[in-house]
Amino acid sequence: MTDTLIQNLLNGALTGCIYALIALGLSLIFGVMNVVNFAHGDLVMVSMYLTFWIGLGTGIDAAITPLLTFPLLFLIGLLVYYAIIDRTLRQRYVTQIAVTVGLMTFLRALAQLIWKAQPRALPYSLIQGSIQIGSYTILASRLVSAAVSVLVIFGISLFLSRTWAGRAIRAASDDLDAASLHGVDFRQTYALAFGLGSALTAIAGGLLMTFQQVDPTMGVRFGLLSWCVLAMAGLGSIPGLLISGVIVGAAEAMGMSLWDPRARSLVIYLLFILVLWLRPRGLFGRK
Amino acid sequence: MLKEMLRVENLSSGYYRVPVLENASFSVHEGEIVTIIGPNGAGKTTLLKTISGLIRPSSGHIFFDGQEISGAPPHSISRIGIAHVPEGGRLFPNMSVMENLLMGAYGNREVLKTGVLDEVFELFPRLKERRHQLARTLSGGERQMLAIARGLTSRPRLLMLDEPSLGLAPVLVDTIYERLQMLRERGLTILLVEQNVPHALRLADRGYVLENGRIVLEGSCTDLSGNSHIKRHYLGL
Repeated sequence: MTDTLIQNLLNGALTGCIYALIALGLSLIFGVMNVVNFAHGDLVMVSMYLTFWIGLGTGIDAAITPLLTFPLLFLIGLLVYYAIIDRTLRQRYVTQIAVTVGLMTFLRALAQLIWKAQPRALPYSLIQGSIQIGSYTILASRLVSAAVSVLVIFGISLFLSRTWAGRAIRAASDDLDAASLHGVDFRQTYALAFGLGSALTAIAGGLLMTFQQVDPTMGVRFGLLSWCVLAMAGLGSIPGLLISGVIVGAAEAMGMSLWDPRARSLVIYLLFILVLWLRPRGLFGRK
Repeated sequence: MLKEMLRVENLSSGYYRVPVLENASFSVHEGEIVTIIGPNGAGKTTLLKTISGLIRPSSGHIFFDGQEISGAPPHSISRIGIAHVPEGGRLFPNMSVMENLLMGAYGNREVLKTGVLDEVFELFPRLKERRHQLARTLSGGERQMLAIARGLTSRPRLLMLDEPSLGLAPVLVDTIYERLQMLRERGLTILLVEQNVPHALRLADRGYVLENGRIVLEGSCTDLSGNSHIKRHYLGL
């Protein structure tokens, strides 16, 4: 019993690193332009399908596909920003919510239309085998996915602190008017943040496909859990995001093994409510 | 007389449909320090925000070096050489002092190669000591110094300051004005908006008095200091 629990916790914690990566994309978008993007989780779903598609069509492995899907999702992000988000920035909050919920519904319907409703998975992965630690088994694909997620998160944090574009994103998130007064074009910076935030779902989608299947409705789950991770971490702390991702991943796994496999979303909802209730600014947030 | 750098003609501006500034006209010449004084709510901040592009004017013209700039977005106005140090400093609180200074030069990065950071640190040695600290951990005086320093790192041709003395202890106000005096000696053109009238009139060459959104009085600072309206309402004499 405890063995299964610990096994599940390990798996959950590793998957949690991917959740942190998804939430990082969301925090770039929300932190900079205050847009609540309900379609973020569905971009993960779309990325997973693209990975599946490319894998089936060309044989390119899911772990490598992000090299192709990252630029593609970046472009999709730019398109979504300029076509939809940019026009609603000065509108009421309800309008913004309506358009991103609309995008979410659209992406899901599109996935159902193209790939049908049954779950799909890739039959193989480059990353084979597993590691045995005592009585616990860790799939190499999960371990590599977690490691890649952590590396990408680290890379993004370097980008934000070391490059002009990255600093412009942080400055715009701190004080948009002040940033504009020093030459930051807010539209360009918003588009970059939205493109980059979306492109991170491409990496997450590829990594998830090395050990998971995809179906058209799973976007909601990713959306929910990335909001949960972000709420727990608060804005502005990248290590906090990683820790929160691991906590959410582990909690989800625990709920599934102790309670019921179907309770995974319920566990996340409960955790989300708990965080918002007790620490509305998150555990690591700055303001 | 030196070349005219900034000319504002019949400028009206405000928020939504509430007019704040009405028909303001004034000019700033190269190398000059011009101050705009007036009570709270007179429209001083609105005036600066309209020049730097944060607010679109409802009518009137703004010329910089003879070129019309009214209605242009703030990022392009900053790139042509106007630095606006907003009221309260408006730093990037979660960025280090150094990063704040770098952001000051965002629109004009090449100037960083000209040793501008060294010059700024020479003017504000405290900032050099604290360059790795987050801006939100600075004291009120240091914040204001950083805000001015950040405005200088782009090597602006015109520095616009909005109430640099706001909320500071008198001794700190003196320090800030000493630094502005040093900037004047280096020939920087400054447009200073200020409620602290004695300090502003001592530093500047010319001044305009803004009341209820209109310029009601203008002249050299010596004349303004002797004016009975200024004496009674602003200098408390």
